[in-house]
Amino acid sequence: MTDSDPRPDPLPVATGPYPPTCESLETPVSEETQRAQAERLRRAWATPRGWRYPTAVNNTEVGKWYSTTALIFMLMAGVMALLIRAQLAVPENDLISADRFNQLFTMHGSAMMFLFAVPMFEAISILILPGMLGARDMPFPRLSAFGYWCFLIGGIFVIGSLAFDSAPRAGWFMYPPLATQDPGPGSDIWLLGLSFIEIASIAAAVELIVGTLKCRPPGMRVNLMPLYAWYVLVVGGMILFAFPPLIAGDFLFELERSFDWPFFDPTRGGDPMLWQHLFWIFGHPEVYIIFLPSVAIAAMVIPTVARRPIVGYSWIVLSAVGTGFLSFGLWVHHMFTTGLPSISLGFFSAASEAVVIPTGIQLFAFLATLMAGRVRLNLPMLWIAGALAIFIMGGLTGVMLALAPFDFQAHDTYFVVAHLHYTLFGGMVFPVMAGVYYFFPFIRKRMLSEVLGRWAFWLIFIGFNLTFLPMHLTGLRGMPRRVYTYPDDLGWSTLNLVSSAGSVVIAAGFAVFVWDLFRPKGGQPRIARNPWQAGTLEWTHDVPEQAWGVRSIPHVTTRYPLWDQPEMVARMDQGRYYLPDAQEGRRETLITSVIDAEPIQVQRVTGPTWITHLAAAFTGGAFILPTFSLYTPAIISGALAVCTIIWWLWTATARPPAPEDTRKDVGLGLNLPTYASGPASTGWWAMWITMLGDATAFASVIFGVFFYWTARPDFPPEGALHADAVLVALSCGALLLSWALTLFARRSNRRGAVTGARICLGTGAVLGSLGIAAMLGAVTALEPTTHVYPAILCALAVWIIVHAGLGTIMQLYCLAGSIFGKLTPRYDADLWNISLFWHFHALSVAVAGAVMILVPGVA
Amino acid sequence: MTEEHQPRPDEEEAEFAEESASLWRITLAPVAWAAHFVICYGLVAMSCAKGWPITEVRQGLGLFSAAVLLLIAWIGWRALRQWDVRRTGDFVNRRGRAEDRHHFLGHAAFLLAVISFIGVVFVSLPLILIEGCQ
Repeated sequence: MTDSDPRPDPLPVATGPYPPTCESLETPVSEETQRAQAERLRRAWATPRGWRYPTAVNNTEVGKWYSTTALIFMLMAGVMALLIRAQLAVPENDLISADRFNQLFTMHGSAMMFLFAVPMFEAISILILPGMLGARDMPFPRLSAFGYWCFLIGGIFVIGSLAFDSAPRAGWFMYPPLATQDPGPGSDIWLLGLSFIEIASIAAAVELIVGTLKCRPPGMRVNLMPLYAWYVLVVGGMILFAFPPLIAGDFLFELERSFDWPFFDPTRGGDPMLWQHLFWIFGHPEVYIIFLPSVAIAAMVIPTVARRPIVGYSWIVLSAVGTGFLSFGLWVHHMFTTGLPSISLGFFSAASEAVVIPTGIQLFAFLATLMAGRVRLNLPMLWIAGALAIFIMGGLTGVMLALAPFDFQAHDTYFVVAHLHYTLFGGMVFPVMAGVYYFFPFIRKRMLSEVLGRWAFWLIFIGFNLTFLPMHLTGLRGMPRRVYTYPDDLGWSTLNLVSSAGSVVIAAGFAVFVWDLFRPKGGQPRIARNPWQAGTLEWTHDVPEQAWGVRSIPHVTTRYPLWDQPEMVARMDQGRYYLPDAQEGRRETLITSVIDAEPIQVQRVTGPTWITHLAAAFTGGAFILPTFSLYTPAIISGALAVCTIIWWLWTATARPPAPEDTRKDVGLGLNLPTYASGPASTGWWAMWITMLGDATAFASVIFGVFFYWTARPDFPPEGALHADAVLVALSCGALLLSWALTLFARRSNRRGAVTGARICLGTGAVLGSLGIAAMLGAVTALEPTTHVYPAILCALAVWIIVHAGLGTIMQLYCLAGSIFGKLTPRYDADLWNISLFWHFHALSVAVAGAVMILVPGVA
Repeated sequence: MTEEHQPRPDEEEAEFAEESASLWRITLAPVAWAAHFVICYGLVAMSCAKGWPITEVRQGLGLFSAAVLLLIAWIGWRALRQWDVRRTGDFVNRRGRAEDRHHFLGHAAFLLAVISFIGVVFVSLPLILIEGCQ
């Protein structure tokens, strides 16, 4: 390579020996060096103190806040349940008004689902996953912090509405027309507040998936990953395919609520069934999104208590993946009584029964491990045993309900309430409690009380069965869900009283647990490291606590490294493995390849900041202000959110390293680059994963078009105005050209033709704006309030316009990056990432354009 | 201990290229299940809504189901060969060698093919057992 050659040098690549040899690991490190290294690491990873504490972004802090907040929301939802049970304890009760009762059961379900179950999975994973993977932190610490602050703001907003007597009250699944026509802001609070939280959930899912794929320790190939990491991958993937249909549904629903576009109004061609489909395409997988991570906790606890490797590792992995897939084929079993053709019901009934097989395999693998091992019935195991018992009961009633004729009878009765609480308590609450007892020494370096733990277990276990076992009978005797009160002579009175008494016992159990969790533990002796003698990496944690994650990142060659690689912990402590030092005083973690976890990059991760709070507050404003029809402030808030996020990305992500800093010696002779772009980088994977979710949401809107087309004879209505085909074609042409220019810009930039790349990006942005204008022009003549046909065309146009706007901003961002030296021919991660966005956008432009132009012809 | 080697310049791409066949195999069986499910559900729903002849649709979907089952069986057979358990006798593939990873991916694909096969059989049953839209 000569100086006159315009092409940039190739990016530095990894050099040096890999994997480490025994001799290299035995090379002694002097105690003085060890101390100095540890001191530098400690300084780089120090948690901010005092009033700066909330700026922390480290996974240990964010994870603690996240899980504590989710726990508090859960306790609030529990109090709502107690009020519901108090109202139903005796017949003809008038403790609370019917309207208040509706708000309570709606918020109980919504809060338990959206503010507890899913966030709790993500909180626990943020907290413990880096430990399991021997990573210092997740790849995007600020993203998890941003997700947490969004969750906190959204959660307080949604739950706070109860205090103002304006909470949603149409049931947690918000069926139209009840919910669409409900006066007051309740339904909007549900839609906007929870959409906001779903976005935080997707952010966390992206973080967790990329963390699992790219931040594993060297040597941890896919066949060695801890089972928990496998479940995180499966569940993260499910979130990406399950949440977007609901977001698409919320999008249509809110357009109906705010602007009277009649998507679910049958008098103007809409159909409430579309909401049910979109809701349950989310809602059923959601159950497994909650269940699988909890099973994952069991999969970590069981080998430890059985003191042997898990039986049937591949079987469990594949059952988790299989459950993830099959759970998407079940949504209609929530809609058995909506009058669908019986063959259709048959498909969903069959798929509902089929999902039992992979679920059963996981449970049997656990039982086999327990039988093959030497079990110590410690506290975590007690909770797991309770979970298995309760979940199996819930599974049996699930098999009953999956049979359509039985479901016709039990539909919307307390039988269903009993079934769902059995699956959720057995499948989620009990395993999570096991996880709290099991992981508490890892998180807080203290033990929870054995005595209080047993009290909590038995109170909750007995209270639970006392509450929900009678509900099967109450339901079979015909008591419908969601009734506010009932007369005395129907044979429900005693059963309800027993249930209400049981709920108080559960509450007592939780009170014991919460006291145990938060009581001062300063006087307790410090725990030993690895108190359960477990075999996985998180138990190499330092006692007392260090914020650096691991002292040095080990080379892993087995599934249970602490059992099978006995010399590992000492070597980690002495800093003999990778990245034992922070010479530059920066936070770093090792990025490895997806399949074999070979080290490929040192990633500088971001540190404490206030920017995430600002971004979350403005994003929150964009979602919360429209609830009160404050559209102008909402738009301003949204624009400020975009500016804040651009500033955040500009200052903190993919900055080209200084010339002397392009590679780094990570120890054991291995030398790694500090920058990566394209598929080698974490940012590219995050974009790819986010776009999968985005594409799913778009597909759901397209599904809406075809749904109306099959379900409604008047779609499109006779003589309807169509989108202007010429302008649609023009818009698509401009946007597709803009996509091509983006790709061209990336290639020219790589070749060193910087000016050409800048021209492409600038022209691309102009074409993007033209595409937006043409799309606007194509639908301006339509009147979306008159019928669902113009409404869905306009919704498609809104979708394309918003994404084209984002794409244009991205092109301008890269253009600015190229001009101000953030993006160079050699350091071009931003261009790779926006190309990926444009690939997906080009696809949706083509599909949307085809639908808008072709539907009038074929219908 | 894994095999000694020098890092490759494009490690990520190299690994995906090496295992591309088995990664396809892993995804293909569940995707076949999902596609079969969506096509059966969509076509039956449209036939019932638009009054298309349901008997012919059922027969067509029956043939389609048979084809999908054959495809999944073939994927499963290839995956079983990749798992190679009969030659190695190693059911668990718990070591950190490239060979273990390769066999594990085969085992994974095989088990997913089994689950997908059962799933497709289950979903096909209503086509045979239930005669009309009702």
